[in-house]
Amino acid sequence: MSEAQGLHTKEFTLNVGPHHPSTHGVCRFVLQMEGEVITSVTPVIGYLHRALEKICENRTYEQIIPITDRFEYCTAMSCNMGFSLATEKLAGLEVPERAEYLRVIMLELNRIASHLIWFGTTSLDLGAITPFLYGFREREDILDMFEMTCGQRLTFNYIRPGGVSKDIPKAFIPVCKKFLDAFSAKVDDYERVLTENPIFIARNKDVGILKPETAIAYSVSGPSLRASGVKYDLRRDDPYSIYDRFDFEIPTRENGDCYDRYIVRIREMRESAKIVRQAIEQIPEGPIRSKVKMNFKPPAGEVYCRVENSRGEMGFYIQSVGEKMPLRVKMRGGSYNQLQVMPVLCVGHKIADLVAIMASMDIIMPDVDR
Amino acid sequence: MKKLVDAIRNLVVGLFTTGKHLGRHAVTLQYPTQKWEMPERSRGIVVLLSDKESGELNCTVCMLCMRACPTGAITIEFEKDEKGKRILKDFIVDNGICCFCGLCEEACNFAAIKMAGKYEFSTEDRETLIWHQDRLQEIGRGVPYEKPVRKKPAAKPAAEPPNAGDGPAAAESAQPEVTAVANPPGDAVITKPGQPAESRPAPEPPARPDENPIEGDDGKSAEDQK
Ligand code: SF4
Ligand code: SF4
Repeated sequence: MSEAQGLHTKEFTLNVGPHHPSTHGVCRFVLQMEGEVITSVTPVIGYLHRALEKICENRTYEQIIPITDRFEYCTAMSCNMGFSLATEKLAGLEVPERAEYLRVIMLELNRIASHLIWFGTTSLDLGAITPFLYGFREREDILDMFEMTCGQRLTFNYIRPGGVSKDIPKAFIPVCKKFLDAFSAKVDDYERVLTENPIFIARNKDVGILKPETAIAYSVSGPSLRASGVKYDLRRDDPYSIYDRFDFEIPTRENGDCYDRYIVRIREMRESAKIVRQAIEQIPEGPIRSKVKMNFKPPAGEVYCRVENSRGEMGFYIQSVGEKMPLRVKMRGGSYNQLQVMPVLCVGHKIADLVAIMASMDIIMPDVDR
Repeated sequence: MKKLVDAIRNLVVGLFTTGKHLGRHAVTLQYPTQKWEMPERSRGIVVLLSDKESGELNCTVCMLCMRACPTGAITIEFEKDEKGKRILKDFIVDNGICCFCGLCEEACNFAAIKMAGKYEFSTEDRETLIWHQDRLQEIGRGVPYEKPVRKKPAAKPAAEPPNAGDGPAAAESAQPEVTAVANPPGDAVITKPGQPAESRPAPEPPARPDENPIEGDDGKSAEDQK
């Protein structure tokens, strides 16, 4: 086209990041551009590497829990949970009934909080500021509930091997019920602002289509996988804790574009709220933590446990040699695979779509780098 | 044409949703003058608690908090009197490396250390983030706490005979003054070779915060731990 007009374009390299407002965390992309069209994407990672897995090797199992909070700080509860599950399996610890319910309540509230961050930042990346404020407003309520329970808003250190660290205070259940009652209307509000918004649709529909085969080949998991039509959710397919007792749906969509990923996450928030409501109604009285010795020593062996967090499968591999510290801890987070598949999704799109795709994949860098 | 009408309608719906907030009051707190009320369990900075009547520190120098700390933020310096009872010399918390996990508070059986809902400790200098006993005690006054009901009255640390412990503890009680300093666990990286499971040696005691030399002394308090 340009040659017809006597103009020549040359491919050029464009650097995005590492500190760019629309990269979630400190991620860097090296783009090959043909005019405005992306011809190749190379994600450069490692800027947030904190050697957390190595640090875990020098901590007792109890001491690792606050470190797992830093693995993926948007859903720290699920990191706590994954590690606790793995430790329990390794050491054969029992978890009291009430603790299981508390775990589910916290995990699902945390999933909502994480999706709210995604909702806010996605819209912000696409230029809409109002939804950002809405998302963070409701997230604030959830964080208040967490702070009321465990004392912190992000780094909870709440779910422990053998149970949870503290029982919920008396005020928790009324506050949570109030939140849940209002939440559905709030999600309606979000949808009114974005779902049908013509600008939002134009930016997202048919952008960054992730085919189910590609998604599976790249081990993409979580909502990004379900938006491509693969109904795979560990809460249903490999139930851990007591998820098999709750009645909830697993939202899926067929196209696998940015818009579908948006719809899936919005619907997941509603489903999570449903789970929390059921858990609050069924929660029994009782102890919240089984007897766990300080510096307990699980027998030698290795174990892999996984949970479904808001970015996909979060797995913990622990190798123990029967000492009070693990020999090796490895964590698998969903974001890494979602970043790996970015080059496939972006090629052929305009550079502005890179931001939309990255936002819709819900990648956060601490989950990639650790 | 219909598409355009739809688009405009949807934009108006969105605008109307945001418009609902027009008449609301602002919820912003003007920070330094107005302050948020922290929840009761809020984990702010670490403080040391004093007895409500005598004003003395509740700490019995059992070192459990130092061992529980994952970052090595707590350093306890003590000396032993002639009966072998430990006397606190200094209790140091490095707020710069504390990760506010609350494990020290959970480890303490004597309601001596607590994470208070206080958060204003920013300074211009990293060194001033290291707080010593007097400052920790001062900020801890007035922090509400419940003294745990102890099944066995607190005879334990005082009734310790001078050379109760054996091994390293006995060796140490021979010295007039013992200063225990927590090695940050990060240092332990060097002492732990990445060998295969079978040939991995036992961890070297002194390098670990939770295995400090006075292990023999307070096996009892380790059992008290839940
Ligand atoms: S655990 Fe409590 S009593 Fe023991 S040294 Fe620490 S603050 Fe003092
Ligand atoms: S809160 Fe955690 S990191 Fe801070 S001093 Fe206590 S145990 Fe150490």
